[in-house]
Amino acid sequence: MFQYIIKRVLIFIPTLLVISLLTFMLSVSVPGDPVELMISGGNSDNGQSANKIANEQAYIEKRTQLGLDLPVFYFSLGSKATSDTLYRIPKKMHKKNLARLCYNYGNWSNVERYYALCRQLELDCLNVPADSANVESRISIKDNLFKLFINADKGVIDTSMANIEKGILSAPSLNVLQPKFKELKDAFVKLEQEKNLVNRFIPDFKWYGFNNQYHRWITKFIKGDFGISYQDGRPVKSVLWDAIQWTLMLSIFSLILTYLLSIPLGINSARYRGTTKDQVITTILFILYSLPSFWIATMLIMFFGGGDYFNFFPGFGVGDVTPHTPFFEKLGIRAEHLFLPMICYTYGSLAFISRQMRAATINSLSQDYVRTARAKGLNEKVVVWKHAFRNSLLPIITLFANIFPLAISGSIVLEQIFSIPGMGKIAIEAIYRRNYPIIFSVVMFSAILTLVGNLVSDILYAVVDPRISYSSKKN
Amino acid sequence: MAKEKTEQKEVSQEYWAYVKRQFKKNKRALYSAYFVGFMAFIAIFADFLANEKPIVCKFQGKTYFPIIKSYGVSFGVTRWADELKNLNWKDAKYDWVVRPLIPYSPTTMDLFNAQYTSPTEEQDIPSLRWKHWLGTEKLGRDILSCLIHGTRIAFTVGIFSMLIASFLGITLGALAGYFGDNRMKISWASMIMLMIGIIIGWFEAFSARSYALSDGFEASSFKGFLQFFFSIIIFVSIVFLSLMIGKLLKLIPFLRKQISVPLDIIVQRLIEVLLSIPRMFLLIALVAVVKPSINMVTLIIGFTYWTEIARFIRAELLRIRSLEYVEAAEALGFSSWRILFKHAIPNALSPVLITIAFGIASAVLVEATLSFLGVGVPAEMLTWGKLLSEARTAPSAWWLAIFPGFAIFITVTLFNLIGEGLTDALDPRQKK
Repeated sequence: MFQYIIKRVLIFIPTLLVISLLTFMLSVSVPGDPVELMISGGNSDNGQSANKIANEQAYIEKRTQLGLDLPVFYFSLGSKATSDTLYRIPKKMHKKNLARLCYNYGNWSNVERYYALCRQLELDCLNVPADSANVESRISIKDNLFKLFINADKGVIDTSMANIEKGILSAPSLNVLQPKFKELKDAFVKLEQEKNLVNRFIPDFKWYGFNNQYHRWITKFIKGDFGISYQDGRPVKSVLWDAIQWTLMLSIFSLILTYLLSIPLGINSARYRGTTKDQVITTILFILYSLPSFWIATMLIMFFGGGDYFNFFPGFGVGDVTPHTPFFEKLGIRAEHLFLPMICYTYGSLAFISRQMRAATINSLSQDYVRTARAKGLNEKVVVWKHAFRNSLLPIITLFANIFPLAISGSIVLEQIFSIPGMGKIAIEAIYRRNYPIIFSVVMFSAILTLVGNLVSDILYAVVDPRISYSSKKN
Repeated sequence: MAKEKTEQKEVSQEYWAYVKRQFKKNKRALYSAYFVGFMAFIAIFADFLANEKPIVCKFQGKTYFPIIKSYGVSFGVTRWADELKNLNWKDAKYDWVVRPLIPYSPTTMDLFNAQYTSPTEEQDIPSLRWKHWLGTEKLGRDILSCLIHGTRIAFTVGIFSMLIASFLGITLGALAGYFGDNRMKISWASMIMLMIGIIIGWFEAFSARSYALSDGFEASSFKGFLQFFFSIIIFVSIVFLSLMIGKLLKLIPFLRKQISVPLDIIVQRLIEVLLSIPRMFLLIALVAVVKPSINMVTLIIGFTYWTEIARFIRAELLRIRSLEYVEAAEALGFSSWRILFKHAIPNALSPVLITIAFGIASAVLVEATLSFLGVGVPAEMLTWGKLLSEARTAPSAWWLAIFPGFAIFITVTLFNLIGEGLTDALDPRQKK
């Protein structure tokens, strides 16, 4: 047994490693720039020259602080057309566009020069003092430069270039930009002339070493440092701790409720198998099982939760309490808020577990030992509760282990609908806001708990049923 | 030989006839299957059931079949006549006209009945023919029409995602179950070349062509799939080529040594990885990466739901591979691949039917959940889940909460009932 556990735990390691890689890849490829979202809600491209430079400085600092300036992984398999230093470019949008330019023209050094000249021109343009004669042209130049940063399409680039030229020529004060612009134009012409599409198909393997984002994150994670939430700067640990309390509370209460209701239900409907009673119970359970929880939640809120119909319960949230609120009042507020969610949490698993219980009881009632017990002349109640019951609990026990993962991931949809600040809600918000540290931690924790849960359920199986043994497994 | 074949056919026909008989005994499942057929009919003919365009009409002296014509236009075969191009189909003056049962498209905005018109209240309509039987939503779109067209979306997602899932699940599960950890032997040369082939093939086919692929999908899903098909061809030919080189390398003695590939462990780990990440969370994260599109949602559901099927097939093949007829086939010297695909898999398929039925139910549910949360499905597409989510912004519009939710519920229940019926029909304990 002990050996079996050790073996299973060892197998966890590669699985977790793959999960960590998968999560990491996924969150990095979610479009959107977390730094941009953190700094200014996504718009740092406006303002005066000094302002812009300050903004960019802030951006770069933040990026370095978060470690997002490092290469993503230990190595990369790119083509010869792209660059191994592309990750150094700040701004995800620019990076994306440069990658596209590399693909289109197959020559990184020329693309780099083109990009550098674009940026210089932008700064120079901002440095030209604004006056009434050039204000329009300046805006036009800026807009068109912005287009150059995010477009790799030749048509768009050509029109933008033409517009910039027009802008420069229209105001005399902007004529200082002329030489820079000429350089830029030449760089683009050169880019086009030296187009080399074969490079796209030549694989290029690059090794970045251990100083990369993934390595940094995974080593910290193993040491127990889960990082800092991008959104509010709090440690991930405390964010998760706050959230998990809600989720745990809801799942534990609903679990107790479920088991209290479903075990007698399942046994009774198995005992009276085939009768009207059984059919009614089975049908109701089946309907409950198929009812989408988000539909029921929506309807409950609409009809009982502060809509235009009955206003019995608050429709969402968990209620405001201060630390000074008396205990019973607090309990009342919480109970009022959590009543509707609790119904939604419970009815689905109630149906599921009752059905399992019914099937298991039917199975054990048809066993020989039950027939023997009946033949002995035992009372039916004793037969069911003393002989069949314990054996039909077997499948239910293993289901118990599944609460681990459920507790951590919560019910994403229900928490969203009822605005309960639990794990599910936190996780979804983290995806929307590109809050990488939270995404990683939630996924890793739920993965670990799922694995542990499965192991525990296997062990429980062996504990309740002595016939099952893992120690001498033969092939 | 020919006689043998027909005999074999008869046996398998007998088996399926038996399953059919057993299934028909379960009345609930049988009627569910009929009802699913009815819903499939609605899904297929949605355009003829609810559409603002007439089925047949005479307009300015000419007869048109606008709905059929619109299919031609969307396939690029024909074009609208000039006078029809910007026609307001709903209010146009026809000489005579046959309209669909519901004269509204899901996109038609009835401005007179906007802002949540209830089905029970009085509606601002010319005649009962134009009644919104299930009410309207905020922009005056007809709920019944949206539900009818939503059936199509739900069924397409459910069925196609399960097709993808069963393909993946059957292949991987069969490989794991049949070959186990040590029955698949491969030489070092082939192994190394296969690895190299996969990496280079992936690079050339998908990495280097990533922009070609994304441009294709942006243009239209047809062009996208065409590009994807090219990529697959490139990938397969590169892998094939490197395997050929591997064959040559076998001339070197130390590369000829055989090793066994632990297929079972690999597939089992893969399943474990997928099942360890909360499913909804994984789906939302995956959907967040791609552009909102119903095809992508289908694909993603398919790619995350194969595990159940794979587990079933694996268990089934573990049993089958020790049966006499497989041993007989091995003794006759058939290749493992032939035994696997011609003898073992066809005999393991019946339990998969059960998982597919339940799988469609959960795929429909997942699609509805995703659209309810507003992720993955394009904003302008009105699905059941999205209609239901609109109810959250209009707390007094009960019809928005009840009808779409009921549609989801019915579909899920029907497929679950079919699944149960199949479970009973295929259960060997019920054989007499």
